Amino acid sequence: MTSGDMMALMPLMILAGGSVLVLLAGAIRPGYYLYEAAIAFVAGALFWTVAVPAEATLPGLAMTPFARFFAVFLDLAGIVALLLSAAYNRRRGIVGEEFPATLLFALAAMGAACAATDLLMLFLALESFTFAFYILVAIERNSARGGEAGLKYLLNGTLSAAILAMGIALLYADRGTLRLAELVPQPGGPALEPLFLVGVCLILLGLAFKLSLVPAHLWTADVYQGAPAPVTALLSTASKGASLAALLLLLPLLAGWQGSHAILWWLALLTMVSGNLAALVQGSIKRMLAWSSVAQMGYAALALVVAPYGGARAAAFYVVVYAAAGLATFGAVAVLSDEVERDGIEEYRGRGYANPLAGAALAVGLFSLAGIPPAAGFMGKFAVFAAALRGGETTLAVAGILTALVSVFFYLKVVVALYMRPAEGEVTNARPLLISEIIALAVPMAATLFLGVYPAPLLDLLMRVLP
Amino acid sequence: MLGNYPILTIMVFLPLAGCLLLLPAWRHPAAARPIALGVALLELALTGWLYSSWRGLAVAQTGLPGFFLLEDLPWIEAFGIRYTLGLDGISLLMVMLTAFSFCVALAVSWRAVGKRVGLFLALLLAMESGIMGVFLALDLALFYLFWEVMLIPMFFLIGVWGHGRRIYSTIKFFLFTMAGSLLMLLAIIALHLIYAQQTGIATFALHELLKTRLPAGTQLWLFAAFFLAFAIKFPLFPLHTWLPDAHTDAPTAGSVILAGLLLKTGSYGLIRFGYPLFPEAAQQLTPLFYTLALIGIGYASLVAFAQEDMKRLIAYSSIGHMGYVAIGIAAWQPVALTGSIIQMANHGVTTGALFAMVGMLDERAHTREIASFGGLWGKVPLWSFFFLFFSLASVGLPGLNNFVGEFLVLAGTMKKAPLVAGLAFLGIVLTLIYMVRLVQEVCFQEDRQPLSLVDLDLRELSLLAAVALLVVWMGVHPGPLLDLIHAPVQLLSGGVP
Repeated sequence: MTSGDMMALMPLMILAGGSVLVLLAGAIRPGYYLYEAAIAFVAGALFWTVAVPAEATLPGLAMTPFARFFAVFLDLAGIVALLLSAAYNRRRGIVGEEFPATLLFALAAMGAACAATDLLMLFLALESFTFAFYILVAIERNSARGGEAGLKYLLNGTLSAAILAMGIALLYADRGTLRLAELVPQPGGPALEPLFLVGVCLILLGLAFKLSLVPAHLWTADVYQGAPAPVTALLSTASKGASLAALLLLLPLLAGWQGSHAILWWLALLTMVSGNLAALVQGSIKRMLAWSSVAQMGYAALALVVAPYGGARAAAFYVVVYAAAGLATFGAVAVLSDEVERDGIEEYRGRGYANPLAGAALAVGLFSLAGIPPAAGFMGKFAVFAAALRGGETTLAVAGILTALVSVFFYLKVVVALYMRPAEGEVTNARPLLISEIIALAVPMAATLFLGVYPAPLLDLLMRVLP
Repeated sequence: MLGNYPILTIMVFLPLAGCLLLLPAWRHPAAARPIALGVALLELALTGWLYSSWRGLAVAQTGLPGFFLLEDLPWIEAFGIRYTLGLDGISLLMVMLTAFSFCVALAVSWRAVGKRVGLFLALLLAMESGIMGVFLALDLALFYLFWEVMLIPMFFLIGVWGHGRRIYSTIKFFLFTMAGSLLMLLAIIALHLIYAQQTGIATFALHELLKTRLPAGTQLWLFAAFFLAFAIKFPLFPLHTWLPDAHTDAPTAGSVILAGLLLKTGSYGLIRFGYPLFPEAAQQLTPLFYTLALIGIGYASLVAFAQEDMKRLIAYSSIGHMGYVAIGIAAWQPVALTGSIIQMANHGVTTGALFAMVGMLDERAHTREIASFGGLWGKVPLWSFFFLFFSLASVGLPGLNNFVGEFLVLAGTMKKAPLVAGLAFLGIVLTLIYMVRLVQEVCFQEDRQPLSLVDLDLRELSLLAAVALLVVWMGVHPGPLLDLIHAPVQLLSGGVP
């Protein structure tokens, strides 16, 4: 490894090393500025990624512009999640160094997933961050729901890991290599072996679990509801972004095989339809947002169906925009929850006035998820549908638009509760927000509005990252 | 002189900037109201200044025939979206109507809105920005953006400050409008892609897309999507069901804006985008358009006759009046189109005034039921006088504004479709019946409930007097307004300006 490679890999090392250091520091001085230290490590990694344009190609890993783009995205989401959880965990009695340390570890693994160049590294990275989330989801030891969520996630997750591993093994058995570049079918080459195709299908299924695409989505609602809100915020944004990046890395493998188009087509359609329909009937805000995130990934999958027609860029743009909205909404849920989690949609009555910033963040996030301008979700949907029509997928585009219309209803239900229904019983005075919470809410909200009005810089950047 | 300043951008964003001015006065209604009204009046002065100088501007060439002012900047190049605003005679008329209606809306809610005043005023100003944008945008994507943005403030206005089943009404309003516009979004993108395929230019600019060559089948589908979006806003029968609920449950200012402006965005969109972009498809659908408009006129009039709630009655009358606008557009003939555009402004002014007056009565009596009133002529003579006046204007009394529009619509349609014009004329008689019944029961019948009411105060009186003067001016001397829209109408309907 040369020093240039070291420079390029430094962000990942900062995160992984930071994770160990935080764990050790916790053993020496429990609870002493651990979150602050963790935030400093992520900020350091973020700064390094932005400021040092070093690129490197190592066995299994390559720091490309693509990897650096997603690293910046993951670090930003990680900082917001840490800011949220610092106060939230204190209120909820989640103490100990394992939380920030595990979160840093998850960020390092997610960063590695976006930089993988062979299937083994991809598998290791994907399973490492999923492993970290097993812990984070169930970290609230006194919560029965958290334990249930952790178990469900673990059982589903191990199954998907097994499927993913099986798929990789089949590809290796067929082609004798794990390197992505060598696995890509050559145009005009020999017909693809059934073994290869089965392997690719299994890998797709494994990733569908991570992205909660139907039919591998059933864990989502329970896990999102049971996990602490800041963890859900990270799980529903950063891990989705990293999994989508992994899928984007794998897409060249599908080239030249018509069947993959049909698979993605049905994944996208089923996910958009069932996610949005199921979200309609939820009474719990976290479950509603969970189903909504299923549906949102359906739109990202729709963009992947037409990946050669600019869909890959649209998917990446969509996931960034979705993440900003997801952080704003789950962040608001975290901030508005005190000792007990505020979960029912009806419990949000009148909170828009009692807690203006959190209410505004929630409302802006919901408008963005619903795809209503000037929130960025509109630009995301615009990009996705433009790509879909360019790729000739009119049926999917119309289905997507109609399901988006359905989604407006359940997003509005929360906005109605926030601003239009009077609070029941006595109105409890909102506690003053901490500075960390203000930043964690204001940044995703501002990003959502900014990207909705002026997405040009991000789109130009994506042009260079995903040529 | 004017070209050096981005006047149109200022017009669009001045109200939004006004929201920032409201921030220091957020918790002080007494200070916030004058600030908001000041911003709206400034906007009105700006449009008045444009109106006074449009003949001078028209001489200058902007590159687009008929447009006095044009502002064009790159915005989202990756999508091919540009920030293009343009002002022609039709836009100017609509923009004046917008600025005027918002002044009315702010004035009528002076006392009526007592809670969360800062937020209320900020939403009104934000909506003014959105509607200004709709009437000025010449890039289809930009137009769509403004089209959607203006919904959010209205959603909150009805939901937070409304009456009755406000939440049901506001969600219904929002979903209906979204249903139409989302399909239009797909159609806009499809049109953009077809044009890019034909010419290699990725653009959403209206003047470019007008040159797209569309096969008949595609054109019909795309026009259908545009038509649905605009017909819901219009609203055409049978897509009108959101309107009575939204108008009735909205606060007075909301009803004024809904009737005065939001409905007009539908007809404006059809005139500016729908018909010019898809002329053959529009021709094909004309019989359907006529039929729906006629059914709307007849049906709305009958239903209006049966209403017990004054506000609901006026809401249904809106559907009927917009039916004439629809017929004039469907005829797509210079005289009828002129009539439609003038009628859009007329209806905005008179119906806005009627909603404002019902709001004033509601503030005093806390009911809008027709059966609760009677003999108001003796009790509140000033109110009754203006109510009678605006009702007469609404039914199209010659010399007042609505007459001009309806006459032109019918005269123009007579040349193209005499049967339609004849049936529409019968509709005017129906309008007369229910409006006369309303005035008769409320103002002249015997006193049915012992209500002690106070007559108009100075604020209300001056507001109504200003609107009434406008009604008379537009009715007696419509020449300047007709001149204003003459050139663009000729260009649109294929004639020579």
